[in-house]
Amino acid sequence: MTMLRPQSVFPLAITALGLGLLGLFFVYPLFTVFKVSFIDAQAHITLANYAKILSKGFYQQAFINSFAIGIASTIGTTLLGVPLAYCVARLPVPGKSAVLVLIALPLVLPSFIAAYALVLLLGRSGVMTVWLQAQGIPFRSIYGMPGLVAVYMLTLYPYVVLPTLAAFKAVDASMEEAGQNLGASRWRVFWTVVLPIVAPSVMSGALLVLIESLENFGVAFVLAEDRPILSIEVYRLFAGEVGSNPASAGVLGVSLILCTTSVLLLQRRYLSKRRFATSTRAAPPIHKVGSALNLLATVFVWGTVLVALVPFFAVLVISFLEFRGPVMHGNFSVANFQDLWNRSSRPLFNTVFLASAASLVAALVGVPIGYVVTRFRSRLSHLLDMTAMMPFAVSGTVLGIGLVVAFNAGWLILTGGWLILVIAYCVRKLPFNVRASSAILHQIDPSLEEASINLGFSPVATFFRLTVPLMLGGVVGGMVLTWVTLAAELSSTVVLYSGSWSTMTTVIFQALEGTGAGIASAASAVLILTTALPLLMVYRLLRKHQLAVL
Amino acid sequence: MAAIALDKIDRKFGTVHAVRDVSLEIRDGEFFTLLGPSGCGKTTLMRMVAGFCELDSGSIRFGARRIDALPPHRRNTGMVFQSYAIFPNLSVAGNVAYGLRARGVASTERNERVRKALRLVHLDGYEDRWPHQLSGGQLQRVALARCLVIEPEVLLLDEPLSNLDAKLRVEMRYEIRQLQQKLGLTAIYVTHDQEEALAISERIAVMRAGRLEQVGTPWEVYNQPANPFVADFMGVTNLLPGVVVSARGGRIEVKIGEALFAARAETGAAGDKVTLLIRPESLLLLPAQHGPPPNFASFEAIVARIEYLGVLTRLDLDLGGVTVRVAVLDKAPDHAVPGGRVSVGYDPARAILFPAS
Amino acid sequence: MNRFGTTAALLAAVAGMVLGADAWAQNKRLVVYSSNESTLHNLVFPAFQKETGIQVDAVEVGSGVVMRRIAAEKDRPQGDIVWGLSRLNLNNNKEFLAPYRSKNRDAIPAEFRDADDHWIGTNLHLLVILANTNLVTPAVEPKGWEDLLAPRWKDKVAVTEPSNSGSAYINLTFLAAKWGNGKEVGGEKLTKLLQNTKVVNKSSLIFSGVGTGEYALGFGLEYAGYLWKTNGAPVKVIYPADGSVAVMEGVGIVKGGPNPEAAKQFVEFVTRKDVRELILSKTFRRPTRQDLDLTNLPGGLPQLSAVKVMDYDEAYWAKERTVALEKLQDLIQKTR
Repeated sequence: MTMLRPQSVFPLAITALGLGLLGLFFVYPLFTVFKVSFIDAQAHITLANYAKILSKGFYQQAFINSFAIGIASTIGTTLLGVPLAYCVARLPVPGKSAVLVLIALPLVLPSFIAAYALVLLLGRSGVMTVWLQAQGIPFRSIYGMPGLVAVYMLTLYPYVVLPTLAAFKAVDASMEEAGQNLGASRWRVFWTVVLPIVAPSVMSGALLVLIESLENFGVAFVLAEDRPILSIEVYRLFAGEVGSNPASAGVLGVSLILCTTSVLLLQRRYLSKRRFATSTRAAPPIHKVGSALNLLATVFVWGTVLVALVPFFAVLVISFLEFRGPVMHGNFSVANFQDLWNRSSRPLFNTVFLASAASLVAALVGVPIGYVVTRFRSRLSHLLDMTAMMPFAVSGTVLGIGLVVAFNAGWLILTGGWLILVIAYCVRKLPFNVRASSAILHQIDPSLEEASINLGFSPVATFFRLTVPLMLGGVVGGMVLTWVTLAAELSSTVVLYSGSWSTMTTVIFQALEGTGAGIASAASAVLILTTALPLLMVYRLLRKHQLAVL
Repeated sequence: MAAIALDKIDRKFGTVHAVRDVSLEIRDGEFFTLLGPSGCGKTTLMRMVAGFCELDSGSIRFGARRIDALPPHRRNTGMVFQSYAIFPNLSVAGNVAYGLRARGVASTERNERVRKALRLVHLDGYEDRWPHQLSGGQLQRVALARCLVIEPEVLLLDEPLSNLDAKLRVEMRYEIRQLQQKLGLTAIYVTHDQEEALAISERIAVMRAGRLEQVGTPWEVYNQPANPFVADFMGVTNLLPGVVVSARGGRIEVKIGEALFAARAETGAAGDKVTLLIRPESLLLLPAQHGPPPNFASFEAIVARIEYLGVLTRLDLDLGGVTVRVAVLDKAPDHAVPGGRVSVGYDPARAILFPAS
Repeated sequence: MNRFGTTAALLAAVAGMVLGADAWAQNKRLVVYSSNESTLHNLVFPAFQKETGIQVDAVEVGSGVVMRRIAAEKDRPQGDIVWGLSRLNLNNNKEFLAPYRSKNRDAIPAEFRDADDHWIGTNLHLLVILANTNLVTPAVEPKGWEDLLAPRWKDKVAVTEPSNSGSAYINLTFLAAKWGNGKEVGGEKLTKLLQNTKVVNKSSLIFSGVGTGEYALGFGLEYAGYLWKTNGAPVKVIYPADGSVAVMEGVGIVKGGPNPEAAKQFVEFVTRKDVRELILSKTFRRPTRQDLDLTNLPGGLPQLSAVKVMDYDEAYWAKERTVALEKLQDLIQKTR
């Protein structure tokens, strides 16, 4: 075969480094957690645990429930998100730039806070439930499967809308014109030309919805009540107060990972066959429609956006209500913020510091990996690509426990400080960073890099001198999204944080768990404002580079 | 500036044999074109010279220096890309200065050389423009200046004109050739456009499926193609199937359709199946009742079709089942009408025989 | 922009943040793993620091996570104290705890402390029924567990999923033993009870749920009822006429923890009489010490002797946990 050339050292080094890091901080910790599920009492390797657990009706029901909710949410979100994206992209809906900002806002609200606010509004005796019932509307409560699906649809719809919106805008007008010129109606063109072109974007967004709704813990924990749900059972078996059973937990954890990974693989297979390269020459026009239709579209778009923001605003309102102990009273008060002010500001600092450090490191690791898997196709880089996508499918709790078990003793000790949190965050956000940078690179002509090398800069120098600056806008956008979602991270933080490194989400979680709902709502308000600000500040950048690759 | 020697180069991509046993000598200061249909390996071969594609076997030398193990950024070639590859984040001056920075040229000298290079491509005063403000032709000039400024040993041009409109293409190819001659650069030019190749090159290598089919001057590859593929690729031509009737002293008679053709060839025996090549413009429509000029042969045929193309008129003639194309300058003579009979004269030296494939 | 300048500024900023974080650090500190809730922590930790100068770093997580962490960290413990674990959990994790004999030991009955002092009980949670007084009028108010079987309470009684909550597990197995043969989960009454329940995933949902009217009745803990009631929620604490169980929570020192001296001071602090009185007044945690006059303190809790507390075979139900939990879960699913 060909000999090893200096120009292949750079990608090889990055591949080795990437696989090494993922092996150490992802595969190895997971292995320490899951190996018990493959071992019987005599320390023999066995699949008996799997046969036993998976044959139980209870856990089968958990699988059925989780996937029913996941699939229903995915379909629902798609049915909601695609028309919404189309309306925003192609119809003269008023207030578009505001809509575009507001669509992204639900991303900054941790889901367990959303669940808390929703119960206050739509629980059995929630404010809105009572009002609806007084109007004679037979609404019972938000608990149960339909409620869960509705909540997922409204909290996860940005994942479908944002990339689909970008795709609709990228459809070259001439393609639609060609379709119409060939005699197809506008409606037919939409179904046969436009939709297939945006389908890959829709699918990648829908996949995120599926994985998030399978993985989500905070909302299901509150709203599922007594229905068995996979993510809750995994948590319960890992860290339950009474019934912890690592072997069974491993079985469910491994099964969940296998399911999500195979969906991921299927999607990638599908996408690899259908990458429509459309270079937009002419941006598609805004359709002229009748005022009735436009009114309908406006109501639909604004209605959805505002309804999705209800938990967001509810939290802000609640934070200004008086709390006596855990009991909420309907008077205006800033006491919650005073209480919060009197507390240490350390958690806020921790959140900002950890999220900043982690999003920086995630970009530093993710961008080169994205570069290698995009520009240097080989079997090894394909392996790297797949491994880097895997953390997608692993819940934060499981990863957290794995990291504790793996790095509390031995040659590398990480527990007890901030580093292990940064590592956990990086691993969790690596898939997003790799995908994002890969998508950005797809928009950069590879001959630019060749030109730079040809003009005398080595591949490494070219990467730093040319590729990185070209990617910068997109990378910064990706970092902000990483930052925002990390500031809302709870599941691995709870397992990993130590004394002085508690974050805003742990403070909120504990206060909500206990009797400090007032403090919790004030802290939530501070958190969502802290995270919404940078999001809004770089939103232009995001729209240009990032939202297409969510 | 250097002569380039490619020796027994071979490369497979999986099952595709992209370059097969290619050996070439390109002279110092020569403008050399790799010509062929897409997928023939011409771009791969150029990328091997630039260093973007590795060799399975063989060697590449610039002068006496073997460079095929050298990483691409140390080969000192200047490459112009089909997509121009102008760095969108740098100004025109920034783009042109890029290679000088890589070479650590001090800023005063750098600015001076950038200015000179831009003057060379007629972009004086464009230093501070941004790429998105330039037209396709201007981008092309920036790409050229960016290569020239580093004084490369070899200039590599990968279909540099294919994104330009027809008029600009003709202008630019002339300019590129002028610059190359003025600076005395060795240039390799990749194209699939035979007209462009003929116009610009000192020598052309025609490639097919990874192999060199023929290397020669434009006149040679056009008029003395090594095989029917080259002949066909070099432009509209007549490749006529026939059978040798007689062969005597380098003069061979071939029956094509109902007509008898004469050709000069060293080998061949009666009964051989052959393909006869003769360019449409080598065929002369004889005026009515006129014989052919001295040393010319002639045949008669029925006019099947006439196409007026402005500069020339093209006639399809029927030889009884075989069609022959004839090109005449301006318009066809009055006696040539569809269905009418015409006499056609030609120099047998221009008729080339290939064994039938 | 100068690249190196940017990089340097960025590095400096990061370094500053890390150093700044360390500036928070003080010499004397203590790491507490606690499954108590933050209201209690915000009361106790500042008081402890004021008195001793020791800063407490609290890791506030569920007791399941506390146990996972001390087990995972056993070779290099990160925490000094576990606080808020039940007697059962403390006993199960004795191997990770260091023995320490507190000065307050003798004020606490022997059943609420470890015989060889690996842990000491701090407070008792009595299992009670919480009622929302807007939804449950005195006329129909249940007097004990048996009354919850009435068809009128269908879907009105909230109970925590027993695998998520130690107290819920104790409560259900206590009733199973009381109504059944004492050894097995099942029986007609338990099934009937569960048919009336909504099962939620965490205890706090029951407290707030009964407080806001999400649920009319709930399996609750004594302190929560008083906390909500005192703060103006329509909540009543019902001590079941057919018996309650006293679930003990305690504190222990992690073996090999980084700050053993501070840990001892903390154990002394949270078991001291005046501190217990403070905690009771603010958060209604019933102390294990029996030398406080509860009826005259805020909340006016009855003395332990005035409540019908029944025996509960903790060791047996701990041993049977896997089987019993599975049966409870099956029963819950069957009654949905």
